[in-house]
Amino acid sequence: MKIKKQDTYTVIIGCGRLGANLANTLSDEGENVLIMDENKESFRRLASNFGGLSVVGNGTDLDELRRAEINRATAVVAVTNDDNTNIMIAQIARDVFSVEHVIARLYDPECETVYQKFGIDTICPSALSAKEIDKLLCSIQTKEGE
Amino acid sequence: MNKKKKGNILLIGGLSKAKSMAISLLEQGYKVTVINKSYEDCMKLAEIDGLNVMCGDGTKPHILDEANAAECDIAIALTSKDTDNLVACQLCKKQFSVPKTVSLVSDPNKTDFFTQMGVDSVVCAISAITGIIQQQAFIDEMTTIIPAGRGRVQIIEVQIPGESPIAGKKLWEITLPKESIVGCVLRSDTTLIPRGDTRILAGDTLVVITENGQELNTIHALTGR
Repeated sequence: MKIKKQDTYTVIIGCGRLGANLANTLSDEGENVLIMDENKESFRRLASNFGGLSVVGNGTDLDELRRAEINRATAVVAVTNDDNTNIMIAQIARDVFSVEHVIARLYDPECETVYQKFGIDTICPSALSAKEIDKLLCSIQTKEGE
Repeated sequence: MNKKKKGNILLIGGLSKAKSMAISLLEQGYKVTVINKSYEDCMKLAEIDGLNVMCGDGTKPHILDEANAAECDIAIALTSKDTDNLVACQLCKKQFSVPKTVSLVSDPNKTDFFTQMGVDSVVCAISAITGIIQQQAFIDEMTTIIPAGRGRVQIIEVQIPGESPIAGKKLWEITLPKESIVGCVLRSDTTLIPRGDTRILAGDTLVVITENGQELNTIHALTGR
């Protein structure tokens, strides 16, 4: 059975370009979203019609996560600009608050392989970009070969 | 002193803490390697004789690999960031199979979390310092308190003053909080392991093991203060 959109609750830590973009998209789709960032200024990246909650706070602080009711979250996405912070948030969400789906963004592809072994879903922008660029290059080459 | 091969220790981050710990460990005959992100800090650390210094981020697998983390027996994370300390310890543990990892943690609420995440020994400077200050402020200097079992148990060394209600009594005549036990009596040069009929004299020093939180009650019962 598919989960109804209204029943999901996504917590996003880090309101950078990626975090804000994701929060706006989920909010447009009618999901419950909470976005947390240490810096109030970051929330200006959110769309004016953003329908979720924005909370100023440190995403590695257990009390602040508890206040955000992270334990009720269906998914937690850690997208701060620091790899180690994202790793810690992901592990707090998974092991302290028993969140089922946890995703962390890691800039360093070397760390990515390590943490996948730990059972955390990771996204590595440079690896993804490399793959996409490779795909584009391949398609160019095949076109030229024709 | 036996200076035969005593094991490798890896210190990750920290300047003054890393410095004093490195000096003390080198004196004890350990092989010590320090990893530090800042080039300036590395130059200062490099002034220590016999210390291996590596400049780099100790939370990156390739830096740990270069520092020979796989060969080390104990890894100690001393950076000021909890996130970096956790990642450094986890990489050492899981990627390089370091037998023992120790981490400093600045947020007291995260001590249990670090343990749960596989760090073998977690030291919270704030809790430790608060404990010491309280001990210094509220208990007179005749008493020493040493935490054991991750702070769940306290070992107290207390001298029995002449006016103590228990001076001259046998051990079984003394009422102590239930969660404490007298483990040893130090009398001038002799050490007694007490039994119920051992008589406590003024001037004796008792070593008492007590559950955390009961130390003040126990000291009160022993000294009358």
